[in-house]
Amino acid sequence: MAESQSQEDPRTQVEAASKAFEHEFERFARFTGQSAAVHGLTLDHAESEQRALAELRTRHLGKKSVLANCKKSIGRVATEGRAAFGQLVQSREAEIVSAIEQAETKLKDHIQSARTLRESIDVTLPGRRPRRGHLHPITLVRERLEDIFVALGYAIEDDREIETDFYNFDALNIPPNHPARASQDTFYTIEGLALRSQTSTVQIHAMQRRGAPVRMIAPGRVFRRDTPDPTHNPMFFQVEGLCVDRGITMAHLKGTVAELLRRMFGSKTVTRFRPSYFPFTEPSAEFDFSCFKCGGSGCRICKNSGWIELGGSGMVHPNVLRAAGVDSDEFSGFAFGFGIDRMVGLMYELDDIRLLFENDVRFLEQFD
Amino acid sequence: MLISYNWLRELTGTSLTPLELRERLTMVGLAIDAVEEKDSDAVLDVEVPSNRPDCLSHMGIAREVALIESGKIRPPSSKPASAEGRAADLTSVEIRDTDLCPRYAARLVRDVNIAPSPAWLTKRLEEIGQRPINNVADITNYVLHELGQPLHAFDFAKLSGQRIVVRRANAGEKLKTLDGVERTLDAKMLVIADAERPVALAGIMGGEDSEISIQTTDVLIESAYFNPDAVRRTARKLGMDTEASRRFERGADYEDVLRAQNRCVELICEIAGGVATEDAIDVYPSPMPTRRIAFRPARVENLTSLNVAETDMKFILTGLGIAHTEESSAVWKCVPPTWRIDIEREEDLVEEIARHFGYDKIDSELPPSNQSGELQPRELKIRKLRRTLQTLGFDEAINFSFIEAAHDNQFELIPELNTEDPEHVFITLKNPIIESEVRMRPTLIPGVLNSLRHNLNHGVRSVRLFETGRIFAKLNSGELPNEREALSLIATGGAGEENRAQALRETDFYDLKGSLEAALAAMNRGPLRFTKAQVKHLREGQSARILLADGTPIGSLGRLAESVSDAYKFRQPVYVAELDLTRLLAAEELPVQYAPLPRYPSVVRDLTILVDRQITLEELLRTIEEQQVDDCRGAQLVGTYEGANIPEDRRAVTLRIEYRSDERTLRDEEVEERQRGLIESLLRQYSAQLH
Ligand SMILES: [Zn+2]
Repeated sequence: MAESQSQEDPRTQVEAASKAFEHEFERFARFTGQSAAVHGLTLDHAESEQRALAELRTRHLGKKSVLANCKKSIGRVATEGRAAFGQLVQSREAEIVSAIEQAETKLKDHIQSARTLRESIDVTLPGRRPRRGHLHPITLVRERLEDIFVALGYAIEDDREIETDFYNFDALNIPPNHPARASQDTFYTIEGLALRSQTSTVQIHAMQRRGAPVRMIAPGRVFRRDTPDPTHNPMFFQVEGLCVDRGITMAHLKGTVAELLRRMFGSKTVTRFRPSYFPFTEPSAEFDFSCFKCGGSGCRICKNSGWIELGGSGMVHPNVLRAAGVDSDEFSGFAFGFGIDRMVGLMYELDDIRLLFENDVRFLEQFD
Repeated sequence: MLISYNWLRELTGTSLTPLELRERLTMVGLAIDAVEEKDSDAVLDVEVPSNRPDCLSHMGIAREVALIESGKIRPPSSKPASAEGRAADLTSVEIRDTDLCPRYAARLVRDVNIAPSPAWLTKRLEEIGQRPINNVADITNYVLHELGQPLHAFDFAKLSGQRIVVRRANAGEKLKTLDGVERTLDAKMLVIADAERPVALAGIMGGEDSEISIQTTDVLIESAYFNPDAVRRTARKLGMDTEASRRFERGADYEDVLRAQNRCVELICEIAGGVATEDAIDVYPSPMPTRRIAFRPARVENLTSLNVAETDMKFILTGLGIAHTEESSAVWKCVPPTWRIDIEREEDLVEEIARHFGYDKIDSELPPSNQSGELQPRELKIRKLRRTLQTLGFDEAINFSFIEAAHDNQFELIPELNTEDPEHVFITLKNPIIESEVRMRPTLIPGVLNSLRHNLNHGVRSVRLFETGRIFAKLNSGELPNEREALSLIATGGAGEENRAQALRETDFYDLKGSLEAALAAMNRGPLRFTKAQVKHLREGQSARILLADGTPIGSLGRLAESVSDAYKFRQPVYVAELDLTRLLAAEELPVQYAPLPRYPSVVRDLTILVDRQITLEELLRTIEEQQVDDCRGAQLVGTYEGANIPEDRRAVTLRIEYRSDERTLRDEEVEERQRGLIESLLRQYSAQLH
């Protein structure tokens, strides 16, 4: 007790520390109270103020602070004044803590929102995305056709593109002097082989290989000697279908083609069959479908007729079945064929089908 | 074929309007392309199927119309000609080559008055696009369009010897045809000659010398039947296509020869005056056989599903001029008319009945299903390939299958097509359509390079394309050509991202290589091997051969050689690859099998060594594998470095080695020891240094 009395009055010490804090805290005072003035404070400045505030806390509330010393000396204060002194120390400490915390909270909130703001991004910048390629429209349509026929129980077949006369003509019942055989219409190699002029060749191979019954489609390249122009190419893609079984009739042909066209062009599509002539079918029919664009009322695509001509079909000619080794008394079958390119041209309204083989990226990019 | 509506109405008395006719004829197989109204008449443009030459006349169309309306034909009639004398007393006809001319009839009309045709005749011909010439020529043309039988009128006075000889031309013989062109004939061509020289190209066009002129007084009217193949051959060979040849080459009606001639002679007498001979000289040594077809009425329903009453069938057959008698209730005997050369067998009769009964009455149903379809593994693989390349930024190209011979020795072909004798590889077209494109492509590369050039020329500088398609090469003589499916890739410009103006970096060899590997991995094919190689069209030092794991070469990959690049005027590096897809699809599929997950952790150690630049990563990896270091699970590239601080002939390679045991966690000291051993052997083998 004598010792402490020889020292400064502890109350004075506490008050002095409190005064010193108030003085030093003055610059942070603007961060407290209702009208806390953090507005306009930059993130960097706020962070340095935050550090300064932390130092201030250490100085005034830390282990080595005057207030901490005073706290330790409470026990040594005379009993009668101890409680009051203790209360004084605690209340001064509480005032300091509260002031610092108020400022800290304000600063912290400010820093957080300033940081969020600074790190905000422009979400409309492009995502990191490698450029995607595009499949050829012929492939897109071809795959769709394949999927439809696979679902109907057909196999997909292909075979040679350079053919003998037997497969390209004879087996298809094309007479020896038919104009299609002329070198005006069909490409020949100098060895006298033909570039297949229709994928019907595949039907013969497939029937020879698999026998009857058989259901297959043959999508693929075919060649005809047409000079390239907006509606012709010397090479194009075709799909031919064949269904040979016991009891197959033209009703099955109509049903199959109509189903295909409904799946390709919508459930309201109507199909029309007209008598026609092909050497490899008898009876033969061409088929048209109601215009998918105008629904039959007439437009540019259907040349105002309401109908779009698509392909040829018919009951497989007995000579063709025989050439492929199928008994035409036991089996009958239908076949049909049309141009995939033509279908692509219709679906995407191409005004020049030469675009299909120019491989202009600006063209290809339009399909997906 | 243009048909006058008024003319047709004279022959049928049709009550259908032109537009109704259009619809009805289309539905029996005679599509009408257009109907054009022309002063008080309408002209129908009929698309006649190639097997229906009988419909290349108003009479032919009239028969169909009459049956459509269940009506009757009103055959044309004219005044009997004033006649005098027998044709045989005035002229003669000799057929030397009856194989090419089975029938020839000649009749004379004397003292005609050649003049312009009367207005009605001129109008008729002009309506259907025919140019009037003079009355006699116009009448032969009129009868051709009326009945379908081509006729020819000679100026009788110009026929040397006053006779007709039908014979093959002598090789080199000349004839100036009506169009003013002098034709040189070969020995397979049939001509109509007089005593001395050819006066007409049989069935195609008359000669100028015997043409009807204003001075003509006596005319010889020819009506004949010529062999279709012979007419077609001669017309093709001479580049001619006439109203007559078009009908003869498809097949005329050999029984209509005299009737048409008579109609023509009657009209001449009526319009141009003159006196006809009482008869014609009709040389027809061996009449054509009659076609008889056994027809089972039940076949109609079997093939078409149509249930047609027998009376309806008979009505249709009769309407088409097809004679029929019942041999039994199950089989009828049918005889088609001579103008219907297309009807040869039972199925043809089924079609006749079905088309007039109405295709629209045929039901529409799917065939009973008895099997399920499935995409073949091959097709599935190709679809995966396409999708993967698409994801990697490649657009799909499709090029023509023919290329220029200029590319012959520009490219190395895939191994399967590469032979000792490159001259004999190429499949050449006899009749290309694009004159210079005579080869069936043995490689897809020229096609994709063309596509690239097209794009660069249009200002697109970053291009990635792929193409799959058939390539062709000769095999041994007597064998069909080798056809293989190939895949080709091309990449140039920036390795782009969507919606960014500038590429992140330029495409290089490893972009293309990586794309190829990714695509093949998607097909579950691989891993592929790449070895440094010299490839004709690739730049040395940036070209590789592509091999299957078993060492079979299947293609090449690399940067396009300067020589090729320059030829295409490419000013930026272009990377191309081509490989044998057929071989790849045939290669064994990698089995997909589960391997247990590791139970103990891996430890990895990096090492960087300085080696000769020629040492490949593959060699380093193989060496590491060959050391068979305990618990070593393999090495992977971290990176390579060459440049500053490294001798020019060396490069630094950093590898990450993985160690793992299946029995326990490896201790650091063990790993260190193994890594030291590995490093020592690498340094020894490659005179390398640690870096
Ligand atoms: Zn339309």
